[in-house]
Amino acid sequence: MRTEDHQQPETGHETGTDLWRVIAAPSIWAVHFLVCYVVGAVYCEKAGRSVTLLPVQWIVGFATAVALALVALLIRSLWKVRGRSVATQNYSFSGNIPQERHRFLSHVALMLCALSIAAIVFGTIPAVILETCR
Amino acid sequence: MTEPGPQPIDEDLKAEQERRLAEVWATPRGWRYWSAVNNSEVGIWYMMTAFGFMLFAGVLGLLIRVQLAVPENDFLSADTYNQVFTLHGTAMMFLFAVPIFEAVAILLLPALLGARDLPFPRLSAFGYWCFLIGGVFVCGSIFFDAAPSGGWFMYPPLSTRDGGIGADIWLLGLSFIEVASIAAAVELIVGVLKCRPPGMHLNLTPLYGWYVLIVGAMILFAFPPLIAGDLLFELERAFDWPFFDVSRGGDPLLWQHLFWIFGHPEVYIVFLPSIAMLAMLVPTFAQRPIAGYSWIVLSAIGTGFISFGLWVHHMFTTGLPSISLGFFSAASEAVAIPTGIQIFVFIATIMLGKVVRSVPMLYALGALAIFVAGGLTGVMVAVAPFDFQAHDSYFVVAHLHYTLFGGMLFPLVAGLYYYFPIATGYMLSHRLGIWSFWLMFAGFNIAFLPMHLTGLLGMPRRVFTYAADLGWNELNMTSSVGAFIFAAGFLVFVYDVLRPKGERDRAKRNPWNGGTVEWVLNMPPEPWGARCVPKIESRYPLWDDPDYIRKYDEGRFYLPDAVEGKRETITTTVLDAKPVQCLRVAGPTWITHVAAATLAGVFIFATFHWWQLTILSGAASLAAVLYWLWTGTARHPEKDEKDIGLGVTVPLYVSGSSSTGWWAMFITMTGDLTAFLGLVFGYFFFWTIHPDFPPAEIPGPGWIWPLTAFLLLGASWALTIGARSWNRAGRRLAARLALVAGPLLAVAGIAALAAGPYSHNMDPTLHSYPAIVWALVLWAGAHTAAGIVMQLYCLAGSLAGKLTPKYDADICNVTLYWHFHGFTILVTTLIIGGFPLVS
Repeated sequence: MRTEDHQQPETGHETGTDLWRVIAAPSIWAVHFLVCYVVGAVYCEKAGRSVTLLPVQWIVGFATAVALALVALLIRSLWKVRGRSVATQNYSFSGNIPQERHRFLSHVALMLCALSIAAIVFGTIPAVILETCR
Repeated sequence: MTEPGPQPIDEDLKAEQERRLAEVWATPRGWRYWSAVNNSEVGIWYMMTAFGFMLFAGVLGLLIRVQLAVPENDFLSADTYNQVFTLHGTAMMFLFAVPIFEAVAILLLPALLGARDLPFPRLSAFGYWCFLIGGVFVCGSIFFDAAPSGGWFMYPPLSTRDGGIGADIWLLGLSFIEVASIAAAVELIVGVLKCRPPGMHLNLTPLYGWYVLIVGAMILFAFPPLIAGDLLFELERAFDWPFFDVSRGGDPLLWQHLFWIFGHPEVYIVFLPSIAMLAMLVPTFAQRPIAGYSWIVLSAIGTGFISFGLWVHHMFTTGLPSISLGFFSAASEAVAIPTGIQIFVFIATIMLGKVVRSVPMLYALGALAIFVAGGLTGVMVAVAPFDFQAHDSYFVVAHLHYTLFGGMLFPLVAGLYYYFPIATGYMLSHRLGIWSFWLMFAGFNIAFLPMHLTGLLGMPRRVFTYAADLGWNELNMTSSVGAFIFAAGFLVFVYDVLRPKGERDRAKRNPWNGGTVEWVLNMPPEPWGARCVPKIESRYPLWDDPDYIRKYDEGRFYLPDAVEGKRETITTTVLDAKPVQCLRVAGPTWITHVAAATLAGVFIFATFHWWQLTILSGAASLAAVLYWLWTGTARHPEKDEKDIGLGVTVPLYVSGSSSTGWWAMFITMTGDLTAFLGLVFGYFFFWTIHPDFPPAEIPGPGWIWPLTAFLLLGASWALTIGARSWNRAGRRLAARLALVAGPLLAVAGIAALAAGPYSHNMDPTLHSYPAIVWALVLWAGAHTAAGIVMQLYCLAGSLAGKLTPKYDADICNVTLYWHFHGFTILVTTLIIGGFPLVS
C-alpha cells in the first residue's frame, strides 16, 4: 500500500481527469438525443404526418456524425492517459495517490465513451428505418 | 509525517477527549430530544416515518386486493377505490421510495465517509419536518373522503376538472415534499463531494457514495420539471390559466411530458440507492473486494444519464409520431446495458468469493431474481408495438412491481438487516429474517406473477371491479392471497425491528467482518459518530490494515478531540480529498420546526385558497429562514486556523467555491434552473403544437418593457458582483452603496417585467399564450424578489459587521445566486420579448 498522499492542505486546484470530463461522453449522448428528438417532433408536428422523413434523417445523420466525432476525440485524449500516467509501471487505479485517481476517472470516462457510442448508434436506428412521419 | 505507532497513547488524554466529544455531541434529553439535528437522530426519524407511510400505503394496497379478489365486489365504492389506488401509488412513490433513500443516506453517509455529521444538519432536519407534515397532510385526506383520485400521475383533463380538493392536495402537498427531496439532494451531494475523509480520493470512495452522488444529481434534473408542472397545474386549477385546456390553446400532453420527465428518472432515483446497498453488502458476504469497482461506477453514471431519455415510453399510446417513439424505444433498450452490467458485477463478486450465508445475502439474491424478471418485462414494454397491447393493463402493474420490489424493496430490506447494527447497536434475528424473507418472496411472486397473465388477458388497470365471465377470477384471487402472504412476511420484519432487544441481540464490533470504513464504529454507536475522522488509504481499510481499529480507538487520525466545545468535521477537495477546512456544524435547534411549519402553512392554506393566511405564513417562513441563516451560518471563528491532527492545519472559515455553502447554492440553483427550463419547455411546446404561435390575434408583451427589465435587472446583477469585489478589496462603503442601489433597480426591474404583459392587457385566462408569458414573468419576478432579500441580507450583514472583507461567504453565495438569476432573466426577456419578433 502506498502512503505518498499529500499531507499538506491544498486549496489549489487538482489536475488530471475530473468529474466534468467523466460525464462528457454521456452529455454528448444527451445533446444528440435531444437534438434528434426535438428535430423529429417539431418537423412532424409542423409538416404533417404523411410527409417524408428525409430532412430529419439528414439532420439525425449529421448529428450522429458530429456526436461520434466528439466522442472519438475524447477517446483519443483518454487513451493517452494509460501510457502517460503509468508512473508505477502498472495499470492499477485503486491506490491513494492523485495519479491513480486520475487514471481511474480516465478509465471510467473511457468506458462511458463506449457506452455512449452504443447509445448514440441505438438512437440513430429509428431515423434509418422509418420513412415517414406516421 | 506523524505515522502513529511507537509512542503509547495517554489513557487519561483519551478519556478526556472522549468526555469532551460526548459533551459536544450529546443528544438533547426529554422533550428537547425533538430539537436534535444530528444525522443519527434525524435519519432514524426519517426512516421510521417513511416506513410508517409505507405501511399505510401497503394497507391501501391490501384494500385494493380485497376489492379485486372476487368479481363484482362491493367492498369499496368506485370513488373510494379511486382514492385508494391513487393514494397507494402516490404514497409509495413520494412518501416511501424517494424519502427512504434520503433517510438511509442521511443516516449512513457520515458513517461511510468517516465524518461526524453531514455539512448541513439543520437542513436535513428541516427537510424531515417538511416531509412529515406534508406526508400526514396528503395521507390524512383519505379520512375526509377528500384524497386525490385521478391516479398517481394526475393526468389532465380528468384532474384539472376534478371538483374536489383532492388534486390540490396532491399538487401542493407533494410540491412541499419535493422541497424536502431537494434539500436532501443538496445535503447529500455536498456530503459526498466535500465531506469525504482525508485521503479518500474519488477512486477510493465507497460505491454507496458514488450512487448517492449520482442520485442526488438526478434529483436536481428530475424533480424540478414536476415542480414547474405542479405550478402550471395549480395555476390552472386555482386561477383558470388554461395550460392543459385544449379549447383555449392548452394541451394535456404538456403535463404528461413534464410529469414523466420527472417520473421515469424517479424510477432510477429509487432503484440506484437501493442497489447501492447491494454494492456494499455483497463484497462483505463474499469476503472479497467487489469485482469491477469501476464497472459499477460506469454503470451507475450511464444509467443516471440514459434514464433521462426514457420518459416518452410512458406515452407510447398518445399518438406521437413513430420517429419520436423510436428514439425513446432505442434509449429504453440502451439503458438495459448499464443496468445489466451492475447485475453481472454482483454475480461475478458472488461467484469469485466464498459466500457467507446470511439474511442480507438472502434478500440480495431474492432481489436479483425479482429484478431480472422485472427488467426483462421492461425490455418487452420498451418495444412500442408490444406496449400498444400491454399499455394500461395489469401486465404493466406486474412489470412495475417487479422492478420496484426487486430493484428497491428487497435490496432495501437487505441493507436494513446489514446496517441495523450501525443505526442501533443491535442485530436483527436470523431466524425471523429467514421467515420474513420466504414469506415475502413467495407472497410477492404469488401476488404479481399471475398479473402478467391477467394483463395479457385484457384486464385494465384502475378498474374497481370486473365481470365474472372474463376469465380473470382465479388469477385475481391468487394475487390477493399472495398479497396477504407478502404482508405477513413484512409484518414479521416489522416485528423484528420493533421488538425489544436483549443482551443476546447486541452487535459485536464489525459484526459481519466488513472491510469498509463504517464498520470501524463502536458498538453500540456513540452520539459523536466517528471517534476521529479516519485517514483513508484503500477501499477496504479494515481488511487491508489489521491495526486500523486500534489506531482509530486511540484517536490517532484527525480531529480526535473537541477542545473548543464545537461540533466539527472536515471538508476536503472534490477529487483527491485533501483537507480544506475544519467545518463547524450546527447543533440542536427549534428554528427548523418553525421554518417547516410556516412553510407547510403556505402550501396547506393555498390548498383551501385561504390566500391571506398563505401570505402571512409565507412571511413568517421567510422571517424564520432569515433568523436561521443570520444566527446559524457563516459564523466568525475565534481563530483563523486549527490543527486537526497528523500535522495538518486548516482554516476554520472559507468562502467562495471552497465552502460548503457555495456548493449548496450552486446545487440548489441548478435544480431551480431546471424547473425554469421546464416552463421554457412549456412555451416552446405550445409553439410546436400550434400552427400560429404566438397567436396573431392575441397581443404580446412587446419588446420595450422586456428589454427595460433586462437592463434594470442586469444592472442589479452587475452591482451585486461589484459589491462582492469592492467588499473583498476593503472598499466597504462602495459595496454598501451597491447593495442599496441593487435592490432598488431590481424592484424597478420587477415592475418593468410585469409592465410588458400588463400594459398590453394580456389576460392569462384567455389562452395558453398569455398564460405561459405570465407564468414566466411570475417565475422571474419571484426570483428577483428572493434576490432582493439576499442583497438586503448582505447589506445588513455589512452594517452589522457580519459581512467583512475577510468573512465574505454570504456575498459570494448571493453573487452566485445572481449569476443564475441573471441567466433566468436573460432567457425570460429574450423569449417573451424577442421570440414573437422572429417567429
